[in-house]
Amino acid sequence: MIVAKRKPFNEIKELISGSKKILILGCGTCVAVCLAGGEKEVAILASQLKMALGLVNEDVEIDELTIERQCDREFIEEISTKVNVDDYDLILSTACGAGVQLLSDVFDHKVVVPALNTTFIGVAEGPGMWTERCRSCSDCVLADTGGICPVTICAKGLVNGPCGGTRHGKCEIDPEKDCAWTLIYNRLKKLGRLNRMEQALPPKRYSVQQYPAKIVHEAYRRRYE
Amino acid sequence: MGDCHFLEGNLRAKERVEYTKKLLNEIGLGEGRLEMFHIGASDAPLFAEAVEIMTNRAKELGPNPLKCGAEKAEAA
Amino acid sequence: MEQDASQIKEQESTGETFEPKIEAFVCTYCTYTAADMAGSQRLQYPPTVRIVKYLCTGKVEIVHILKAFEAGADAVFVGG
Repeated sequence: MIVAKRKPFNEIKELISGSKKILILGCGTCVAVCLAGGEKEVAILASQLKMALGLVNEDVEIDELTIERQCDREFIEEISTKVNVDDYDLILSTACGAGVQLLSDVFDHKVVVPALNTTFIGVAEGPGMWTERCRSCSDCVLADTGGICPVTICAKGLVNGPCGGTRHGKCEIDPEKDCAWTLIYNRLKKLGRLNRMEQALPPKRYSVQQYPAKIVHEAYRRRYE
Repeated sequence: MGDCHFLEGNLRAKERVEYTKKLLNEIGLGEGRLEMFHIGASDAPLFAEAVEIMTNRAKELGPNPLKCGAEKAEAA
Repeated sequence: MEQDASQIKEQESTGETFEPKIEAFVCTYCTYTAADMAGSQRLQYPPTVRIVKYLCTGKVEIVHILKAFEAGADAVFVGG
């Protein structure tokens, strides 16, 4: 899932300054799971902003709404059945960057600002902790690397490793960080697939990754021609 | 502290209180108005003391600056 | 609000004392029992406190504390 982190409070305050009526719009999918932008976090942010603005005597009306997903038009359309977007000067979105952009597209006459910094695609290691696991490189090598991604976890993104900077299972750039290729070696050994490391992998095909990327499912091609 | 009925409910509360203090500092209300106390079932005097401590703190800090607004809204 | 704040100060200077409102979020198994016992032992403590009983303080949400302040609590404590 997408993992994000709330922007510093003062930055958010700056982003909304001058607005008289604000809608804080939460997203109930990835950012709700990573405790950054779901219904609870929207309630906390709204309460904080109301108090911070109350302390300086600013009269700002703040409403809250959380929808299932902001990266899907279907769910964004629901907003209009619950509130009148035109009543608001500004929408403060606690979705990831993708959600904020689709929201701006749909309400292109409204100012939409992000309350989060979108950080990575990752996994939940345990309550309150997430780690990055995928760089969405469009050319997955996990089959050859024992299910551990060197593109993401190796600081140099090496598809053939380890490099000379491996130090007792840690990385030369940061002794706190694991050496991806030590992890891969140990995993392949456990799986009895060490022979996978004997052959060098072909150079990574970075050209298959488009910027910005786009996928049209073959079965739906006719709609977009 | 280690004798919570639900094993670690109070430790979770403690973590959350500490985080909430940070949120209160961010908005400028200050963390002084919030505190966590570990008061066991047999610590009646400790409860009285906690109320005393927080009452004195509130008196030192003065009324909650947001109160006037809240009471106005209540009256309206 | 400034005006109100000055009014409060005025009240204080004219002898009307500020009675804080303290919100206590307490665990039913420990702190609530302690508070109950404080009552039966006739322990003296300020009448400023309002108690909210939780089945477990692990359920005290951040937003509960924030809402208490938003509603005008002068101080909040969690007991567990």
